[in-house]
Parts: sequence; structure tokens; C-alpha cells
Amino acid sequence: MADERIVIEPDPVIEVFKKDIDRTLLRENLKLTPEERLRKMYAAARGALMLRAALQKNRS
Amino acid sequence: MTLTDFPAAIKLLSAGGVEFIVVGGIAATSHGSAHITYDLDIVYRRTPDNVDRLATTLAPIHPYLRGAPEGLPFRLDAGTITRGLNFTLQTSLGDLDLLGEVTGGGTYEHLAPETVTGTIDGVDFLCVSLRRLIVLKRAAGRPRDLNMVAELEALLEEQERTEKGPDGDRDASH
Repeated sequence: MADERIVIEPDPVIEVFKKDIDRTLLRENLKLTPEERLRKMYAAARGALMLRAALQKNRS
Repeated sequence: MTLTDFPAAIKLLSAGGVEFIVVGGIAATSHGSAHITYDLDIVYRRTPDNVDRLATTLAPIHPYLRGAPEGLPFRLDAGTITRGLNFTLQTSLGDLDLLGEVTGGGTYEHLAPETVTGTIDGVDFLCVSLRRLIVLKRAAGRPRDLNMVAELEALLEEQERTEKGPDGDRDASH
């Protein structure tokens, strides 16, 4: 696989950020197919926008 | 803020015969990222034929410079694309970034060997590999990308952990 030729050297700053990553969420996503991941994110994004719109409506 | 109808945009580009590679947040999602993204970023091939196809294909969704005042004499035709390189656009399908070249990855031709094939609604498209995506995000050097880079590297570790069997052998399914 051509991708494996790319070596990712550890970066100390990134390593600090990595400690806060919720890996359970990533493991759940990895159980899905790439298409399922895209559909899940799209649904979540639409939900977030609807929620934002509803909040704005309530404020005005 | 708007959400790009990226399935429709990808299908439109594919139907138009445009050669492109999905990068950015949609590529990250495809690899398992939990981040939400609202736009579509693609690297397009800058051959004359492909630039023609790109301009023709995008015309029906009315591409316009994102954030620019209304009424500018802007038209995304082949000449405009050839004279420019990277375009941040708004369209009737949402925000779309066209990249002729990307920091840390170069052109379509440079990126093409480091892609995987994705599918949406039965349409195949090229998506940048996880390792190259990490390189691109690192090269962009934006502070807001640090968390994304960390997540992508964690994904790579998780994938490699999953691919290795109990004796460290690779799973035959990968």
C-alpha cells in the first residue's frame, strides 16, 4: 500500500493533544463503513444546524 | 453557517467526469474522524480538459466567491480556473473549496497515488489516504487543526492496532 511509505514522526505538541482524544468514539466509527461514517456525520451536522436555528429563534 | 450537500456535490462532479480528490474534513470523516465538517474540499486535476469539465459541471450550481460582495463580475469558467489556482466558493449545494495545489501534498498528480476509493450513493470517488491527510493537516500549520491532527493520528494507531492479530500478524481482511 503506497500510503505506508509515509512515515508520521511523533510531534511532542500533537502527543499532548492526543491525550484528550476520546478513542471510544473513534473505535465506534471504525466499526462503520466509510459511507456510514459520512452519513452519520451529515446527519449530526444537520441536527446541529437545526438546533442552532431553534436557539436563535427562541432568543429573538 | 450552511451545510454543504456533499453527497450531491460529489455525485455531480463524478457525473461530469471531473477528476478530483476529496481532502479536508470530509476525508477525515471518511477515515473515522468524529469532527463535524460543513464544507467540501477537493483537489482538482489542472489539465485543460479537466478544467473545462470542472467549469461546465459546476455552472448549474452557481459558484461564486465565498464572502465576496454580491454583484462582482465573477464567472467560474475555464479561463478563470486556469488563471487562478485555489478557490473558496459558495454554491447552491453549499461551500466548496477547489484546490489546484495543497500544502504538504502538491497537485492532483502528486496526491493520486496516495488515495483510497470512497463510495457515496453508489458513486465512487477518490479520497486522500489517512497518512497523507495527516501530512496535509500538519503542513497547514493552523492552530485550530492541532486537535484534528491528534485525532487523525489516534485513528491511525487504532487502525493499526485493529489490523494486527493477537500475534502481531495483519488481519487478512485488510
